[in-house]
Amino acid sequence: MDFKLTEEQEFFKKTIVDTINRIVVPKSQEIDEKDEFPWETWKEFTSLGYLGLRYPEEIGGMNADKIMSMVFYEEIARGSVGFAQSVIMNILMGTYFVYRFGSDAIKERCLYPAMRGEKISTMCFTEDQSGSDLGATRTIAVKDGDGWRINGTKMWITNGPICNFCTVLATTDASKGLKGLNFFLVEKGTPGFSSGQIIHKLGCRGTVTGELVFDNVWVPNENLLGEELGKGVYYVGDILDEVRLMTGAMALGVAKGAYAEALEFSKKRVAFGQPIGNYQLIREKIAEMDTLMNAARLMVNYGAWLLENDIDCRIIAAEAKMYATEVCLKVVDELTRIYGANAFAYEYTPQRYFRDARFFLYGGGTHEVLKDFIGKTIIGKL
Amino acid sequence: MNILVCIKQVADTEARILFKSDKKSLEIENKYNMNFFDEFAVEEAIRIKSKIKDSQITVCTYGVKKAVEALRTAIAMGADRAFLLDNTGLDSDDPLITSKILANFAKQEGFDLMFCGRQAIDDENANIGAMIAELLGIPHVSAVLKFDIIDEKKVRVESEIEGGKETLEVQLPALFTTQKGINEPRVPLITGVMKAMKASITVVDPSTFEGLSKELIDMTASKISILTYETPKGRPAVKIVDGETPGEKVKSLINILKEEAKVL
Repeated sequence: MDFKLTEEQEFFKKTIVDTINRIVVPKSQEIDEKDEFPWETWKEFTSLGYLGLRYPEEIGGMNADKIMSMVFYEEIARGSVGFAQSVIMNILMGTYFVYRFGSDAIKERCLYPAMRGEKISTMCFTEDQSGSDLGATRTIAVKDGDGWRINGTKMWITNGPICNFCTVLATTDASKGLKGLNFFLVEKGTPGFSSGQIIHKLGCRGTVTGELVFDNVWVPNENLLGEELGKGVYYVGDILDEVRLMTGAMALGVAKGAYAEALEFSKKRVAFGQPIGNYQLIREKIAEMDTLMNAARLMVNYGAWLLENDIDCRIIAAEAKMYATEVCLKVVDELTRIYGANAFAYEYTPQRYFRDARFFLYGGGTHEVLKDFIGKTIIGKL
Repeated sequence: MNILVCIKQVADTEARILFKSDKKSLEIENKYNMNFFDEFAVEEAIRIKSKIKDSQITVCTYGVKKAVEALRTAIAMGADRAFLLDNTGLDSDDPLITSKILANFAKQEGFDLMFCGRQAIDDENANIGAMIAELLGIPHVSAVLKFDIIDEKKVRVESEIEGGKETLEVQLPALFTTQKGINEPRVPLITGVMKAMKASITVVDPSTFEGLSKELIDMTASKISILTYETPKGRPAVKIVDGETPGEKVKSLINILKEEAKVL
């Protein structure tokens, strides 16, 4: 077993830590307080080229392996989860199907500008009555001439209200359930495509999340993203493990940021004549936080290693997402206890970590759904 | 133009540093960076390269194997090639030895222009640049705040002096140490990061340099030895000056300065 990062991975990690510290961290509190899309930070950060992280070098990407990707997701979330959500949407979910199935013209129009940060992308699964239950998707696409006509409404769409294009999940045959699902590319400016309600969130502020409306939207045949009709649900499966591991890595990033605050505070805060880090109850908290984060990181990296090596990681990916999230919740909770009453004030950062951490309970699948999936997969059909 | 930049990898300012039991050596947490002032040196070299066609930037460091990270950072920023002058088995605390090694490398590689950071933020010696220049017999200007190329043989620089600035015209080849304010070091582009990740860093044994041997540059040749490390004294607690009005507080403060601090 080799747990060591390669020299290249170490260098990448160090570089991304420095980059996030210089560009994102100084803006994190402002991004949260304003709760507006941080266009300036977006421009500055995306000009560096990181949005091509997981795509081949031939098209301007970095071809990062899965371990490096996890390092990136963790670090950018440590900087600002709100900002990270928008960035990662462009890196992974928002462009995945366009890269995999898009025609050359679509790639020129959508993928490459998105990799440069010139266009903002998103992927739309969730509806007001369905999230993990994809079979309940009500958005419908009907064949119409040389294309498809789409009707429906999507909710909780990261980058939705500001996106230049989206990959939308719609059923082409409701009677087939999951096997009737397909992905379609819809670009801004297409008649009938509009954004609706913006959701004001408890955490992950700065990323714009909301509703997307497809009112008789017509797209040509080439916008059907997939080799074969009805394969949409299988394509979701191809990206799901990476999304879950990514969510776990992001949760770890928030935990890491919170832990660093807790550690610094425990060294500086003096009570009863000495730094509170000298007290055993504080040391116990620091030890517990560090232990939990190390365990979660091992799980996330193990999942990433499996994924990189094309080994089935469905269970580990779900477990890692779930465990890293629970660790994150525990770590931010401990931060607020170590920090004392100031953790309850908006002027200080612990409350931000506390609010942001709640997102991971839902993003990447609720833990109730994940546990059911894990148990069902392990036990099998009886 | 052939530009040579000497850099150093130093402990991160947030790294945990402990004294070993003998108090003569340090245990440093595994967090290292390129020296703060060296980033300005690398950045300035890159800016010159963007103005003068066919320039080449070489970075070098005398240090441990891990120092390749600092060299890779320089490549990610825009340097063309990098050399690690490996100090394995040679580690000495004498800046003169480090300067001899770097000067020897510079002589061997050739250069038109050399940059160093004005000082390393770990030992704060601020003498490597000046000593290299002396050993090479070339002009040297320290704490440079502004750098302009006049032609390939001459530059105009502004450097920091006590209470002001000094403008100088300098014949090349010459060595300059960079001060904060000369530029804003860039954040590397992903293309630079990828180039740096793949870059092959040449590792050189400095004892093989002409005119140098192991005996001349190892610990036994060092004319400086560290006797002990000590932590700075802790600051006394802050005293809040009593008084209902500003006037009373001033009176109270003057009294304290006279009676307790005895500075008035």
